Amino acid sequence: MDKNIGIYICTGCGIGDMLDCDPIAEMASDEYSVSICKNHPFLCGAEGVDLIKKDIEGEGVNTIIIAACSPRVNYDVFDFGQDKIIERVNFREHVAWSQAEKDENTQMLAEDYIKMACAKIGRTDLPEPFKAEEEYSKDILVVGGGVAGMTAALETAKAGYNAILVEKDPKLGGFLAKMKKNVTLPYKDISDTGAEAMIKAVSDNPKIKVYTSAAVEKISGGPGIFSVEIKANGNSATERAGAIVQATGWVPYDANKLGHLGYGKFKNVITNVEMEEMAAAGKITRPSDGKDVKNVLFIQCAGSRDPEHLPYCSSSCCLVSMKQATYVKEQNPEAVNYILYKDIRTVGQSEDFYRKAQMDGNVFIRGSVEEVGESGGNLYVSANDELLGEKIKIEELDLVVLAVGMVPRSLPAEIPKIKAPSDSKEADADGMIEVKPDSGFFATSALNLAYRQGPELPTLKYGFPDSHFICFPYETRRTGIYSAGCIRRPMEVGKAKDDATGAAMKAIQCIEATSIGMAVHPRAGDISYPEFNMSRCTQCKRCTEECPFGAINEDEKGNPLPSPTRCRRCGTCMGACPERIISFKNYSVGMIGDMLKAVSVPEEDEEKPRVIVFVCENDAYPAVDMAGIKKMNWSPYVRFVPVRCLGSIALVWVADALARGIDGLLFMGCRHGDDYQCHFVKGSELANTRLSKVSETLDRLSLESDRVKFIEVGITDCDKVPAIISEFMETIESVGPNPYKGW
Amino acid sequence: MAGNYDPSFAKEVFDNVDSGEEIKMCMQCGICAGSCPLRHEMDYPPRQIFTLIRAGRRDEVMNSKAIKLCTSCYRCKVRCPRGIPVIDVMHGLAHYGIKKGIIPRKGTAAFGGEFWKMIYNIGRIDEKTLPLKYNLLEGLVPGIKSTIEMAPMGIQMFLHHRMKLLPERKIKGIKELRKMLDKAKEMGKGGAN
Repeated sequence: MDKNIGIYICTGCGIGDMLDCDPIAEMASDEYSVSICKNHPFLCGAEGVDLIKKDIEGEGVNTIIIAACSPRVNYDVFDFGQDKIIERVNFREHVAWSQAEKDENTQMLAEDYIKMACAKIGRTDLPEPFKAEEEYSKDILVVGGGVAGMTAALETAKAGYNAILVEKDPKLGGFLAKMKKNVTLPYKDISDTGAEAMIKAVSDNPKIKVYTSAAVEKISGGPGIFSVEIKANGNSATERAGAIVQATGWVPYDANKLGHLGYGKFKNVITNVEMEEMAAAGKITRPSDGKDVKNVLFIQCAGSRDPEHLPYCSSSCCLVSMKQATYVKEQNPEAVNYILYKDIRTVGQSEDFYRKAQMDGNVFIRGSVEEVGESGGNLYVSANDELLGEKIKIEELDLVVLAVGMVPRSLPAEIPKIKAPSDSKEADADGMIEVKPDSGFFATSALNLAYRQGPELPTLKYGFPDSHFICFPYETRRTGIYSAGCIRRPMEVGKAKDDATGAAMKAIQCIEATSIGMAVHPRAGDISYPEFNMSRCTQCKRCTEECPFGAINEDEKGNPLPSPTRCRRCGTCMGACPERIISFKNYSVGMIGDMLKAVSVPEEDEEKPRVIVFVCENDAYPAVDMAGIKKMNWSPYVRFVPVRCLGSIALVWVADALARGIDGLLFMGCRHGDDYQCHFVKGSELANTRLSKVSETLDRLSLESDRVKFIEVGITDCDKVPAIISEFMETIESVGPNPYKGW
Repeated sequence: MAGNYDPSFAKEVFDNVDSGEEIKMCMQCGICAGSCPLRHEMDYPPRQIFTLIRAGRRDEVMNSKAIKLCTSCYRCKVRCPRGIPVIDVMHGLAHYGIKKGIIPRKGTAAFGGEFWKMIYNIGRIDEKTLPLKYNLLEGLVPGIKSTIEMAPMGIQMFLHHRMKLLPERKIKGIKELRKMLDKAKEMGKGGAN
């Protein structure tokens, strides 16, 4: 594409008072032969937009540099169609609102930003959306036929899409079908589970294809083009799907590990799941002799919130015990239920059911179990009553119910092993190595993805699929595959239904975005995708290993086989590739390299250091913007370079920048580790790892390692941004100017 | 020795005590205890009284000082997140204790009598003479002894301008007040005994 560049500088919002805009225009036309360079006092107004539109029509401008406010605002106003390259220069937040008025340094800063923009568009091409060769499927595969799975399928059908439901049991319903009654909205009383009606609705729905006694044998492809092999009742079938909802649910915590609570020792000690089954089958009796029950004690958090067993809360067991106490009272109004709890956790509106359980006269005792024993055929429980502050003993108990927690079905019973790489030191005698939870190999079989990074969704330490479940629920680390229900986190029926609906909607979004070549969260709407110059690939496998979303498969020789529909466009592969063969049409190693080269580096005696700050577009950039909006000030010697994710940084940028005399490089990325905030999960962690190895490069250049620094910045850390910058500037000052200046 | 849980006392309370059933709703947050201005004088805070009822500790509850101390300031009732009328329960328990003969009626009745007399005579309470008169009902020597025991409190009240050295004067319009008190007595709503 022949680029006809137009630069438009807005002088509104105080920009015109802070800067001398004419010399900037002069500089641009001299150095970058830009013919059109205009100022306007109110560029985002109708008149300003018209000015640009007129030039597009009259002068044939197709590459537009807008030096005005942050690209995070007014993106709709400055949208001139997909056939134009638009580059926004942040003159407002990063220059006018955060720098000194009409200062020489402010002017240089503004000029540098324009130069960087010109360098950037020099390397930018118009992205074209990816289109797979195969036809896109718009069906949704739902794995698991419990309440979450059935809801996901029904909601998919309601939205007008076809669903394929795969259930391992001969009958749909999961745990919902095993319950006697249910507690759900409005949480005033127990109600029918509605399982039969739901199963019928699913079976009767023409848009839902149900496979029972079935398992997913293999899934290959990617969003829009998943190919699914299903084995049902011994027969094989192949289906195509556009997106997947995994709702494989939970299993109760293994009560055999709870010997200290009397399970396995006394027949009348049962789990809440066994209690539910007994209630659903008819009558609640003593398992030891079949006699009626009068006194029942529920032990909450049986194994839950216990570092030895399940360290987390399953958030539904309290409600379940109260529900089962209601069964006991219904059966015998004279019965006494004791509920021995650590904390009652009835979340949200379900507090109403707690009130009902209290009104029913159930005895709530806060404390911890000391002993479960038997005397004269009846059980007794001794406990530390925290509220009485003494030891208590509750005798004559007919039944003790252990409220066990939920374990995700994906958690493997034993730590799985895979074949170790030949150079591994931890491999056992058979050459096998234990899998870490943070990988696609650490999960029991459900999806059997034909992905290079493992057959299942990567899990967190407790076995739940990894995603940031506050910031981006349902998302997983495999594009187009969404988790819902108790596989995502422990929850009760009402929440599982909400969850499944959400996941189904995400799946539909994914299908629709993929079909027009757009990325899904977090770069929703992005049509660029990484392209591989395969002729120069050295089969190092770094891209296939480091992709946080397992988007790249590889062939036997180790060549990467990218699947653009699985890609989230973070650019981690681009930063990983030592040969720099991976680039986007509008984002590449060379492009950022050119931007760094465009920064003018004054001579040493001018005492104007230059620092490049790479900022993550997702959290750090908004934080810097907000610092600007708050009119906080920072050094005029820094130049911000936004990157898609810090995972996309290439170490060659460090070497290039330092070799040109840039004094320091600061990397602002998201928090990583257990409570990560990285939108691409692993990006900032990878960046940190890569930068920890940068000292080698610095040594080669005989430079101090203090010149390169990684800082974790959250989106709410805007107040800290100026301090972070000044601190780094002080470091640079103490280290002294870069000796490569002027080379 | 581990105490046993016995639901029978709780049932007794639910059936006999005014608002007794409401304590089922207690979730032991302790806001009542934190709000009570007399908490430091109580042997058990209201929250713990409720726990003791649940656990079936009849003696501890009925003999507790706490149920007699409530001054009806209503703070607990206003603040209780579960809307339990804590003061009604506390008074209910005290009444139940009197009814059952666990809490002696004599002392309170005597105090009430002296209180009424003083209000009838001067229309207000004299903080010096009322305790003195009440104490002297026990007899001269023990009465003086009890009064001397209360002296430090009296000094504090004096220092805080809560008590005058001179005797309290009659209020204005004492005749109207007496008419009201006579009427109340006639209706059986009070009186010196």
